[in-house]
This record gives sequence, C-alpha cells and structure tokens, in this order.
Amino acid sequence: MVFDSPMQTRSLATRLMQWKEGSLILVIVLLGTVLTVFSEPISIRDRTTGEMRQVNKFLQPTNLDKLVKNTSFIAIMAVGATMIIISGGIDLSIGSTYCLAAVVGAMFFNYFGPKGSMPELSRWLVIPGGMLLCVLTGMICGMINGSLMVLLRVHPFIITLGTMEIFRGIAFVLTKAQAFTFFPPEFTDGLIRREFNGLYPVPLLIMLLVVAGGGIFLTRTIWGRYVYAIGGNEIASRFSGIRVNRIKILVFTIAGLVGGIAAVIMLGYYGAASSDVGTGYELRVIAASVIGGASLTGGKGTALGALLGALIIQMIDNGIVIFGIDQNYSRIIIGSVIVVAVVLDRFSQSVSRRRLLTS
Amino acid sequence: MAGPAEVAPLIRFDQVTKRFPGVVALQDISFSIAAGECHALVGENGAGKSTLGKILAGIHRVSGGTLRINGTRVDFKSPLDASRAGISMVHQELAFCPNLSIAENLFLGRLPHVGPWVNRRLIRERTFKLLQAVGLDADPGLLIEHLSTAQEQMVQIAAAVGLGARIVIMDEPTSSLSHRESERLFEMVGRLKQQGVTLIYVSHRLEEIFRICDRITVLRDGRYIRTLPIHSTNSDEVVQLMIGRPVGEYYPDCVHQPAGEELLRVEGLTAPGRFEQVSFAVRAGEIVGLAGLVGAGRSEVARAIFGVDSFTQGQIFLRNRKTVIDSPRHAIQQGVGYLPEDRKRQGLVLGMNCRENLSLPRLARMQRWGFIQYHQERELVQSYFDALRIRAADMEMVIEGLSGGNQQKIAMAKWLALRCRVLILDEPTRGVDVGAKSEIHNLIDRLAGDGHGILLISSELPEVLCMSTRILVLTEGRLVGELSRQEANQEKLMQMMAGVKNRSNG
Repeated sequence: MVFDSPMQTRSLATRLMQWKEGSLILVIVLLGTVLTVFSEPISIRDRTTGEMRQVNKFLQPTNLDKLVKNTSFIAIMAVGATMIIISGGIDLSIGSTYCLAAVVGAMFFNYFGPKGSMPELSRWLVIPGGMLLCVLTGMICGMINGSLMVLLRVHPFIITLGTMEIFRGIAFVLTKAQAFTFFPPEFTDGLIRREFNGLYPVPLLIMLLVVAGGGIFLTRTIWGRYVYAIGGNEIASRFSGIRVNRIKILVFTIAGLVGGIAAVIMLGYYGAASSDVGTGYELRVIAASVIGGASLTGGKGTALGALLGALIIQMIDNGIVIFGIDQNYSRIIIGSVIVVAVVLDRFSQSVSRRRLLTS
Repeated sequence: MAGPAEVAPLIRFDQVTKRFPGVVALQDISFSIAAGECHALVGENGAGKSTLGKILAGIHRVSGGTLRINGTRVDFKSPLDASRAGISMVHQELAFCPNLSIAENLFLGRLPHVGPWVNRRLIRERTFKLLQAVGLDADPGLLIEHLSTAQEQMVQIAAAVGLGARIVIMDEPTSSLSHRESERLFEMVGRLKQQGVTLIYVSHRLEEIFRICDRITVLRDGRYIRTLPIHSTNSDEVVQLMIGRPVGEYYPDCVHQPAGEELLRVEGLTAPGRFEQVSFAVRAGEIVGLAGLVGAGRSEVARAIFGVDSFTQGQIFLRNRKTVIDSPRHAIQQGVGYLPEDRKRQGLVLGMNCRENLSLPRLARMQRWGFIQYHQERELVQSYFDALRIRAADMEMVIEGLSGGNQQKIAMAKWLALRCRVLILDEPTRGVDVGAKSEIHNLIDRLAGDGHGILLISSELPEVLCMSTRILVLTEGRLVGELSRQEANQEKLMQMMAGVKNRSNG
C-alpha cells in the first residue's frame, strides 16, 4: 500500500486474470520471459550476409517457428477435444484418429507421388484429393465415435478407449507397419512446408484458421450454444427441445475433422507417416484443453484456451530442449503444469465471480 | 427478562455477519434460541435463513460476530465440529451417498469394525433401532437411492438422533413431501421436542410453522427483523415482516372467462406402474389443476404428454388433432411447454446466464445460417425481463446467482417466448419466496386470460384451489375425480387424494 507502482501492476494482473484467457496469456508471457532470460546465446550463420552472429537460443526465428509448428498439431486437435469436453464428453481416440487419417493420406500421396504407381495424375487433383481424403477419414472416425456413443448409450470414455485401439489397429493393418513417404513435392515443399525467409508459416496459418473457426462456431452459432447447454445440463437441454444426440455426434465429427486437418499438416511437413504417429497425443490434447480452461464436468472451455493450452505445453517442451534437461523430465513437468493450471483456473474464476457479484 | 429465551439461551447469535464474495448474506444478526424450543426461521428467498442454519451446522463459517452455545463461544470449522457439539442438520439436498445402504450411511465415518472388517450385524441392528425410533419401516440394507425424499429425510433425522444431537436444524423439510408425509414429520418434530431436542425450523410454509413452532424469527435481506412468540402473532403479520410491506392479495382475483376451444385432450393414457387410463381435456383460458399426493403420478403424466417418457396406450390430441409426441422437441413444435418440477436439474442450465437460458428453446428461430442473431435475442430477453419483472443485475447474470423466484420466471419465460399455447406447470412456485410467488400466480392467471391452456400441478392445496378453474384428482396413477372451482375445498380434495386405498410407503 506504500508504493504506487506495485498496486498498478497488480491491478493489471488482476484485470488479466478476470479475462477468461488472461491468466493463460500471463503464464505464456512469464514462460517466454524465463526461457529468454535463462537460455544461453548461440551462434548461427546469418542467411543474407553469411556471417556468424549471436542470438538468443529461445527468442530467435528458427526456434519460434519450430515451437509454432509443434504447437499447431496439438492446438488444432485440442480445439476439437475442447468442444467434446464442453459438451460433457471425452475423446481418447484422437491420437489414433490422427494416425489413421495420416496413414490413409500418406498411402494416397505415395501412390500418386513421384515414386508411386500413378505419378502422372494432375497435381491439381492429387493434392486437394489427398487432403480431402485425410480430413474425411478423420471425420468418419469422429462420426463413428459419436454414433456409437449415442446408439449404444455408453460413456464416451469407454467408446473412445475402444476406438483408440481400433483406429490404430486399422492403421497398422493398412500399412503392414511400413512407413509411407515420397509424396508429391508440390504438396510438401510447395504447400505445407513452403518456405518464406527460412520460416514455415503455413501450419501457423492453418492453426489460426481452425482456432478462429472453432471459436466462431462455439460462440456465434446456435450449435455452439447448444454444446455449452448440453455440457451444462443435458436434461434441461433436452427439455428445451435440443436434439442432444445430434449435437453430440456433430461435436465428435468436428473433433475427427480437425484431427484430419492436423494429419494433413503433419504429412506435408514431415513428408512421411507410419502407424505409430501420434502415439500418446490423446493425453497431450486433453491436457492442452484442460490447461486452456475446459472443465471435465462440462459446460466450460474456449477455442482460444485450447490454443493457449497447447502453446504452454509446447513451450515447456521447448524449454526442456533449450536448457538441455533430460527429456525424461518433460512428462513430470507437464504433469505438474496440468495440476497447477487447473488450480490457477479455479482461482481466476473466483476472482471473476467476485467481480460479477459486486457489479 | 420474562421469556424462556432470556432465562436460558441455548444458542446465542451475536452480531453474526456472513459475507460471500461480493454479497453480504447476513449482517449483524443477534438473537437467541432457548433450549427445547422449536424455533422457526422465516424470510423470503435470499433473506439468509438457510445461511444462518448452515453457520450453526458448521457448513459455513461466520465472517464476523460470535456464536455461543450454552454460553461458550464456538467457531465450527466443519459440519463434524458441529455434530460433535450435538448439532445436526436435515438438508433438502443430497446428504447421503445414494449408492450405499441406509445402515452404511448412518454409520459413515464411524463404522464399527474389528480390524479392517466392518461389523455388519451390529450396524444392521443399531440402524434398525434408529429407524424404529423415527417410525420408518425400512430395511437397513436398502440403498438410499431407492428411498423417497420423505424416507430419506426420516433417515437424516434418524442419523441426527443416532448421533445424540441436541440441536436439529431442518431446512425446508416439507418442500417435497406430500401432505401425509408432512404429518408424519410433524409427529416426529413433536417427539423430538418431548425428548428435549432444540429444533430450528427453516421454512416458507407459515401454516405448518404456526402448528409446530414456539417462536418465530423473521429475517429480511440478511438482517434480523424480529422474534415473535407464535401465540401472539398471526400469519399476516409475519408475511408483512418478511416482505417489509403489507401484502395485498395472496392469490390473484382469478377472472376466468368462459373456456375457449379445446387445446389438449388425452384419452386413456396408460403407462403400467405409473398411471392408467388417464383422460382429460384442457381448453383455452382454463387452468386445470392436477392434484394428488406425491407419487400419485402427476409429473409422470406431464412427462408423458411432453414426450419425455413413453406410454403404452392412449392418445394425445392437440386442437382435436391426434398427435404423436415422442420427444420434448416434438412437443415444443406442437406448442406444448413444460415447466419441470425440478428447475435446477431439468429446467435451467445453471452455469449459463439469463439470456442464454431464456432464449435456448427459441434459438433455432433466431438464426441465419446457424449464426445467432444477437440483437433479436437481446430484444426478446429484454421484453420478458420487463414483462415478468425479472430482477437480475442484467441479462448476462449467471442463473446460479438468482433467487428461486427469478429463476422460475426465466424457466417460464422460455415457453412464453416460444408462444406455447399449452403450458404444463409442474410445481411452479416450489422454493419461491412469497413476493415472487404471488407474481407467478398473477402471471399464470394472465396467461390463461390470454388464451393459454394451463395444466397446473401443485402439492400446495391452496394454490390448486385458488388458481384452478377445475381440479382433477389423481390417486395412484388413476384419475379418481374432478371438482369444479365452486365445489372444491381443501377437505374434499384431501379426501379424494387420500380416499382410496393407502399406499404403504409415502
């Protein structure tokens, strides 16, 4: 109370905390600052002049680009997972959905690729066709999850626990455990991995589009409103005339769709896929959603939160690499962050609640 | 220094204040409760009576002031602290683990055991004795989830007695009990009083307070108003103190015009085990009361009409056209709205705000390409906020923060916004304070005047009697009679409701 400036910063911090995603942004800024301050400088060769110069290991374009790329897969899938969690469900199969979509796409691109059986087919057919196939595969997986859950009236945890194995199993059978590569370069280097000044911005753009689309869907459309309503109170939603089952299937289908989109980015960026891609992603994606403020009891969560949650996880991963910490510690740290995030979220909620009640 | 309270105050509140984030629930409450009395706490919803009870029961902690039991200052940090001091609370909400048996619940946290093994026979025997003491004839091994609300309440009382409670707080104990079950509860209250137990009775229902309580304390807006001995006051005075102004009409002056066209007719509606051969009609401008004891199948009939539950036989006609209603969505499309009995579980999405709740069923008609037309939504919500005089800071306020009456108004507005002409209102004033109650009654009356057809289900006989144009009586799933407004009175209704054979358990 003696100094003026701390009061002001606190009020700024409080204001940020009151905004739903504010605390996440605060954490990201904090993490970014820590990573920048404590990372050692490294020498890189300047692309234009060819001279060696010192840069910060974290805060430099190449590293940030890698961070964004790694974030994009998780963030895109977390948008779908967040929708499911808002509706009161859970999806354990997203990693497998992603894998199956990637494998199907990879086989397609390989078949029509430069070393495949039909390399002469027009690129204007092959590239959109392959991307569409990827996305459709994801959608079908999601639709299967949603439909099974609704038809069999089984908790989504059980259904997706089953399909997690099934989808990956199908991917395994399809590929006979082989990796598929040799895609049309117009798809990889020409599109997804297109270079601009040494950076690869396409995954970032797609991620932003998906997050924006997800955000608009959740907040601006009637279906988004229904998703929140169902997660908040399913009985009251049904009594209000909402077709609860349809919305649930829709939400799972969207989650599959974004899994397919993530698969497209992965294929284009790495130019290869096998039946073991995306192993363990389901938990990362759920973690991103939860850190982003999605409540497993349903009714709460945002698309932007999913993005920020994914970014936090990847920043920690990135920090572990930069600081040269043993990779094995990453799981311990990320696990701790999940717990801290949820506690922090509850705190920020109580702040905003207080504001709501006093106003 | 004459009354018993001054002589031996068992419980003494001194300047008790309770703040919740942003709101002051209780402010400077000071009064005392004598040993062995049955003390009523009354007030509108939000007056703080439940909060006060919960402070005593150790569920909430005071923010200021002191609480003394037998002259010693206490500060309960948990319900366990309170129960150690001999205080128990009978809640309306879940107090037990529904998946465990009565016996296990009664001894939860203090199961008699030998090493790691629970002494099952001992708890069965002790439970049996405790249940007998409260007059509940149930198997101790029965799971709580299979009990009715009334039975569960009896078990709660048994638990309180079993713990040797000297002070028992009852929070709206009769709000979901039938008439007969309430009677049994009053007997129990009498027995507890004889045993020297001090009772704190939180309720809306003045009638029963005047029957069983010794003194009455009125709270309003979190402040202490007055404590009155029951024999020197009357309900008019208490209601005045509660709402802070003289009450005009408790019930609206129902001006019923002649009934119009038939809106809803059901014929031979049957769902085995729930109701059988139910036939009736509701015309435009009518309020048809559906009376019956809890468990008589009133809500079940309503749910069947609304398409929530299925039925095996019978037909539903809407405006003389045979209609198959297989989902609430379908019912809504046909112009049937249902205000469910449990607004928190079935009526509203508590975590959403007023605007989102009110517009929920109508949202599909306020969209373009799936995008919500916000200005339309706001206009609609604002118009109902004005028309129903919904008291909330603004329409963005989360439902949870609203009083019961305002919540109920929003739950009703949902159907009005859809222009549903048939309204099934299931306990429209349950858990609603006096002021809002009469507003809701007026609203129902106005709706009937506007040509809605209303099916009114209520456990409060005066409500059914004063609101309805005619009353149907349902007993054990069968319609046993119909009374016109003129011939209906409380005695006749009660006789018909209970007249046929009695059910063994509530």
